[in-house]
Amino acid sequence: MELLKKTPLNKVHHDLKAKMMNFAGWELPVWYTSILEEHQAVRSGVGIFDVSDMGRVWVSGKNAGTFLDRMLTKPAQQLEIGGAQLCLLCLENGGILDDLVVHRVRTNRYLIVWNAANIKQKLDWLFCWSGSDPDVVIEDKSPNTVMVAVQGPTIHQLDNLRSVSHLPRFGHTQTKIGELSVFVARTGYTGEDGFEIISDAANSLPLWESFMERGVKPCGLGARDILRLEAGMMLCGQDMDKGTNPFEAGLGWLVDLEKGDFIGKSALLEIKRRGIKHKLIGFQMKDREIARSGYKIFHSGQEVGKVTSGGYAPTLGVNIGLGYVPVELASIGTDIEIMIRKKLVAAQIVNKRFYKRGV
Amino acid sequence: MNPKEYKYTQEHEWIHSEGGAKGKAGLTDYAQTQLGDLVYLDLPEPGTEVEQFKKMGEIESVKAVADFFAPASGKVLEINQSAIDDPAVVNQDPYGEGWLVELELSNPSELDTLMDSDKYDEFVAKLEAEAEEEESEEKEG
Repeated sequence: MELLKKTPLNKVHHDLKAKMMNFAGWELPVWYTSILEEHQAVRSGVGIFDVSDMGRVWVSGKNAGTFLDRMLTKPAQQLEIGGAQLCLLCLENGGILDDLVVHRVRTNRYLIVWNAANIKQKLDWLFCWSGSDPDVVIEDKSPNTVMVAVQGPTIHQLDNLRSVSHLPRFGHTQTKIGELSVFVARTGYTGEDGFEIISDAANSLPLWESFMERGVKPCGLGARDILRLEAGMMLCGQDMDKGTNPFEAGLGWLVDLEKGDFIGKSALLEIKRRGIKHKLIGFQMKDREIARSGYKIFHSGQEVGKVTSGGYAPTLGVNIGLGYVPVELASIGTDIEIMIRKKLVAAQIVNKRFYKRGV
Repeated sequence: MNPKEYKYTQEHEWIHSEGGAKGKAGLTDYAQTQLGDLVYLDLPEPGTEVEQFKKMGEIESVKAVADFFAPASGKVLEINQSAIDDPAVVNQDPYGEGWLVELELSNPSELDTLMDSDKYDEFVAKLEAEAEEEESEEKEG
């Protein structure tokens, strides 16, 4: 049996009596007190997540920008220093290896923040393409650092984040929280305003405590999963993967086919020319049954696809989900059915940004 | 704690019969804690015949789907509509307001095969100790 990896905050979670689970090989809290309470804290107050499972990889050197432009679906070198963007890491056939955020920290220094799943495969992929170029230095600093996400509408009341309140969405800076040196970016995965904070692993406890002292609620993966689903954010490895291309996943906006050559570009141009057969859609259940990942989608009694994510959406008071159906059925308003416990249950295709925060 | 006058299954259901051939059944406190916030109950229609230890429904929390097994054989007399409408009541009061079904028992002596509260307390304590042991083994490893 492979032992689960532990984040630098592992003991904190156990001390808080969190219910723990295996997520992509990491032992992480699924909830501390209640998924619904934690979800509510992030929608109406502020919550903190240990997201140290996510990978933090620094790419630097004279050729770092050229290298990333070749690896990623959007041009990294066009980013301003202090800015970041969401983009994809694709295989040569256009399949999605991961979605990630790339930050430009200095002229020739970038930070990639990517999902916990398949870290080794993704690192190998980067090393494989950087080859022996001495001007591309790839360093996975995940094991020496901690990362937390602090998210929710009342975040601006936190005095320890005052120095970063000016940051634009996706902006980042190197600053201090108390005495602790931190990297702070205005990013997140909840559909709310918030920050993601990276620091040395040695700072884990004081960093966490500085938010506990201010009444920020610890939140687990259970809340995180519904928050992101309500906001129509996809989970790589579940809603899309190596067998999915960005266009069918509804992620064409993360692919810049105008930019110079990048891995997957010729395949993606061809896919775009031929058109896609399936498309990711959002749906809402008409009644109280809950569609879960893997359940089959039907249309007029015929099996047409599969649910990739599904669950109860507390903000909306209904059950929602994501899944793939043939393109010709993928329009908003189409009635579909989900097979739940050997029964076909009515659902309807809706906009997959189920929840959009007020401005 | 787990009520003295109730009987318990290894699958964490309880049943309570105040004599006669009727009994209310539900999920134990341990079960609701493990599942977390409940959001959907799929319970059998009144009139359905159920068999001891056979599945008679499903319980869904935000995170998980679990089977609900009949703690005794018989016919479903009533299901708890207010728990169906708001499953959170099962989290809040699993042994009272959060009951799930009322059964007409076809063989009340089946209840003698179930655990009493002392046995069930022990059973749960053992499960919790095992979970902790697994954890400490992991830490040492």
